[in-house]
Amino acid sequence: MSSDWPVLKSAAEPASEAYKSNAELNERLAAELLERLATAALGGPERSRKRHVERGKLLPRDRVDGLLDPGSRFLELSPLAANGLYDDQAPAAGIITGVGRVSGRECVVVANDATVKGGTYYPVTVKKHLRAQEVALHNHLPCVYLVDSGGAFLPRQDEVFPDREHFGRIFYNQATMSARGIPQIAAVLGSCTAGGAYVPAMSDEAVIVRGQGTIFLGGPPLVKAATGEEVTAEELGGGDLHSRVSGVTDHLAEDDAHALAIVRDIVSTLAPRAPRPWETVRPEPPRHDPRDLYGIVPADTRQPYDVREVIARIVDGSRFLEFKAEYGSTLVTGFAHVHGHPVGILANNGILFSESAMKGAHFIELCDQRRIPLVFLQNISGFMVGKAYEAGGIAKHGAKMVTAVSCARVPKFTVVIGGSFGAGNYAMAGRAYSPRFLWMWPNARISVMGGEQAANVLTTVGDADPEAIRAQYEHQGNPYYSTARLWDDGVIDPLDTRTVLGLALSAAANAPLEPAGFGVFRM
Amino acid sequence: MFDRVLIANRGEIAVRIARTLRGLGITSVAVHTPSDAGARHVLEADVALQVPKYLDIEAIVGAARDSGAQAVHPGYGFLAENGAFARRCAEAGLVFVGPPAEAIDAMGDKIRAKATVSAAGVPVVPGGTEPGLAGWSDFPALIKPSAGGGGKGMVLVRSAAELPDALESARRTATAAFGDGTLLIERYVENPRHIEIQVLADTHGNVVHLGERECSLQRRHQKIIEEAPSPFVSPETRARMGAAAVEAARAVGYVGAGTVEFIVDGTTGAYHFMEMNTRLQVEHPVTELVTGLDLVELQLRVAAGERLPFAQEDVRLDGHAVEARVYAEDPARGFLPSGGRILALREPQDVRVDSGLVEGGVVGSEFDPMLSKVVAWGPDRASALRTLDRALARTAVLGVVTNVPFLRALAAHPAVRAGELDTGLVERALPELVPGVQVPEEVLAAAGLVFHALPRGDDPWEVTDGWRLGERAWTTWRLESRDGVHAVQVRGLPEESAEVRLDGTAVAAHIRLDGAPAGGAELVVTIGGRTERYLWARRSDTLWLGKDGASWSFTRHLIGDPGDRAGAAAAGDGVVRSPMPGTVLVVKAQPGERVSKGQPLVIVEAMKMEHTVTAPCDGVVSELPVQAGRPVDMDAVLAVVTPVAGPTVGAEEA
Repeated sequence: MSSDWPVLKSAAEPASEAYKSNAELNERLAAELLERLATAALGGPERSRKRHVERGKLLPRDRVDGLLDPGSRFLELSPLAANGLYDDQAPAAGIITGVGRVSGRECVVVANDATVKGGTYYPVTVKKHLRAQEVALHNHLPCVYLVDSGGAFLPRQDEVFPDREHFGRIFYNQATMSARGIPQIAAVLGSCTAGGAYVPAMSDEAVIVRGQGTIFLGGPPLVKAATGEEVTAEELGGGDLHSRVSGVTDHLAEDDAHALAIVRDIVSTLAPRAPRPWETVRPEPPRHDPRDLYGIVPADTRQPYDVREVIARIVDGSRFLEFKAEYGSTLVTGFAHVHGHPVGILANNGILFSESAMKGAHFIELCDQRRIPLVFLQNISGFMVGKAYEAGGIAKHGAKMVTAVSCARVPKFTVVIGGSFGAGNYAMAGRAYSPRFLWMWPNARISVMGGEQAANVLTTVGDADPEAIRAQYEHQGNPYYSTARLWDDGVIDPLDTRTVLGLALSAAANAPLEPAGFGVFRM
Repeated sequence: MFDRVLIANRGEIAVRIARTLRGLGITSVAVHTPSDAGARHVLEADVALQVPKYLDIEAIVGAARDSGAQAVHPGYGFLAENGAFARRCAEAGLVFVGPPAEAIDAMGDKIRAKATVSAAGVPVVPGGTEPGLAGWSDFPALIKPSAGGGGKGMVLVRSAAELPDALESARRTATAAFGDGTLLIERYVENPRHIEIQVLADTHGNVVHLGERECSLQRRHQKIIEEAPSPFVSPETRARMGAAAVEAARAVGYVGAGTVEFIVDGTTGAYHFMEMNTRLQVEHPVTELVTGLDLVELQLRVAAGERLPFAQEDVRLDGHAVEARVYAEDPARGFLPSGGRILALREPQDVRVDSGLVEGGVVGSEFDPMLSKVVAWGPDRASALRTLDRALARTAVLGVVTNVPFLRALAAHPAVRAGELDTGLVERALPELVPGVQVPEEVLAAAGLVFHALPRGDDPWEVTDGWRLGERAWTTWRLESRDGVHAVQVRGLPEESAEVRLDGTAVAAHIRLDGAPAGGAELVVTIGGRTERYLWARRSDTLWLGKDGASWSFTRHLIGDPGDRAGAAAAGDGVVRSPMPGTVLVVKAQPGERVSKGQPLVIVEAMKMEHTVTAPCDGVVSELPVQAGRPVDMDAVLAVVTPVAGPTVGAEEA
């Protein structure tokens, strides 16, 4: 019985100087995150928002909130995308994506923000749209597209149009997801021009707002240039035309609110979810106060601390059934529950050695066999280096863990709670290993190696400026640099870790598991 | 004494009679119509029999025979003052608990009644009878239908010039309402007070009176608050009026309980006989509370041939009693009848409540809208009024709009407190007494919080706290009340910790919701440190909150729902709703028809009143979900008129 599993003890000392200084820093980081989120959530410039609202349209966040069930949570994806890019002209990359409940069903919502450059697609916008679709695909979540976009951002057409993971992939994904039984629903709340016209056209069911939504392959200016025909946008591709004549849309709404109500009704007709691939138990809150995380997590990522203090503040009842506690102790592995969902946790407690890598590989295999989702708490400066370790075959032992991580069919969830450096990133389910979700704490750092090591290496092999190298690594390893480029699904407040994992686990439980390929290899 | 008595009535009076029967060890037999099978008077009787209609004399007599009842108590109302029914009972060998049929008939005809009592020396209002009404010269004067009652069809005439038209109009009304156009005319008493004397007579020639009741607080001749004794009547006046009432009763050979109504000049104190009600009155409890007597018991004893167990000099009045009538009506909508299913009910425990209400019961338009009577007693008038107010504040009938807030306002009115009553007071004070339809902000906030306290499961997606990676999201609840659709914003978990926002200001809030999910229990709401208690009940998307005698209903809408269409429920949106529960009488429009503002669409009938529902704007009838003959609930959508801006649009739409 999981209720008999041992409860982790905490050595946190709220009265200590270290705790206080950590708390001060981490609270400041959390406050900074909140502020950045609030700024990005505003969307485009005030005059654009004003004009948008004056046209009788709801702001994109109000559309999302109005679509979701009352009080529904919304697990937004990369809300700080494009942060610091494109001269900061594209807050949230001009698109809101995330998972929320609609008519009692978790759905992926993709909403263009027309107040940001008319909702056009920058390179990161495309990436964010595709990532949302990937989340839908991996987790079998219905997709709702709230479309209000002028299509590709033309000045950067070379970065958004031609390649495999560019604009065209959106429609490819719609077709292939629909083929897998993942519903595709669109509400046309504004422009849907050129390529964008395919979003509603490729959807299973589409809604359009009369006098506001338009769908056409070429807008009136293009038509005039091409054929000389003079036509208004409404005549060319308005709601009446598409609902009464062309049949491109299936429902005609009076306004945004009405369109959202129709989408909710559509979702209520969807086939039921697949049964969960694992069983859940009654959840219980952690015994230890998650607020302590601020005081526990050191300000300096290089400073060691017992990662069990973090686990104790994330898992149900702070109960943790540890696996191989005495072996390869720099990687902590064990079973727990998060919001009632079973999880196998792998958490770094120092550098990875051959033993810890093998332990990790073994544990991943166990969880995969037992259909237990994996949670990686990443704080890793890398694998051990040195003659003895290379001779001991650390490369092949590390490869075992990377293989296990790559091939595990159970959902993986990664939280970068400290450093994410080098091959440790691979073994601990970095972005390349397709975890269902990956988040970073505000104190996290990510780069191929630490700035200090990079400065040493580069000054040794060449004549680099160590200061410049350190500065570059600090800049590029910053979580906001990462999240701007969608290397992760968002920077999260450490206190939200449990909520975020719970929501993600529940969402992931919508997708069935493939059968396991191998038995458990003893390491 | 009888073993078994049939109660030929429903509602609170049937329940009240059953209570006395139970106390006397007499088996009570209730009758009910098919739709009333679950009514409280049925539940409280020992035996219940179904009849097609309450006024079906043959069915009632048949039921009495079948049940083995020896006597029939008619309560008040139609059968109680129906000589034919009394005779029919006698024919069937049943004792009619009431006066002899001859006495009913003698008092039933207003003209004859006046002549009879006048001959016995009782002062009457100077008046004239047919023929010769046209020559009347004592103004102001009141024209009354001879066959009428309860004030219906009366016309006030201020001068001789108005007389011919008034007579014509009154005759038309009387003919239509009573099938008899005979009229009478009387001097109109200024500043009039309605004071009535309770009399009691046995078959052995004993007639006593039990003092007076003052019923001056009336609206359109419907009594609202009654009291005993009257603050206007001195012991000497009481003795004189009582003696006159006894004489009036004797004049017609009265037996049983009866009430002699006087119109009293509030300036001079002169009193005149108006009429005699040959039955138990609705307001009889105030007399019972100050005399300590059970009038129903005495009625039964007299009917069984027993002597009155006391003499006039034994009658003592102790303290003061006030009764307030709770009606299913909406003062804010011109006192239109309301109705609905009673979702939750609270009636005060420490005062007398004569009630026919039961939780789950339906208040419809087919019966009298009086639901219950709250009767308070105090050693003096002021304390009785105070007790009444507290009792009304603890009365809650969720699911049906009632006049309780109006009753509280009336009982607290300075003129009422001072005892300066007259029958026109209520109408004059109406603007101060009628509560607005506007919902207080804190009640709106409470409703939003209750809706937001959604049932939650174990799954983190079922926690409706509006969690976001950044600041939590507000949930906007679109709550439709009688004054329109309001937006209330809530975030967090109301039963743990939440915030509520009205007009942009966020305030910390918390609720405790007992009896979830349907309610019928207490709701404790703390908003910004201020705690209020409500009774709450919920039926699908509609929530009722009750507090201090007032109640509010809220229907929730999600954004974009049909009820949330721009400004639904407000006039001008084209949605036409039933002003009251009733039956659709006539549908005067066709779907798709072009209509202009004010054009009649549907006629709804309730309580014998016809209400014409008109188009709120120029437009096309886009929905018309009603059918003649079908019942409709209050606020049911009768039609939707889609506004049409210009004259050409309609054609295009077709």
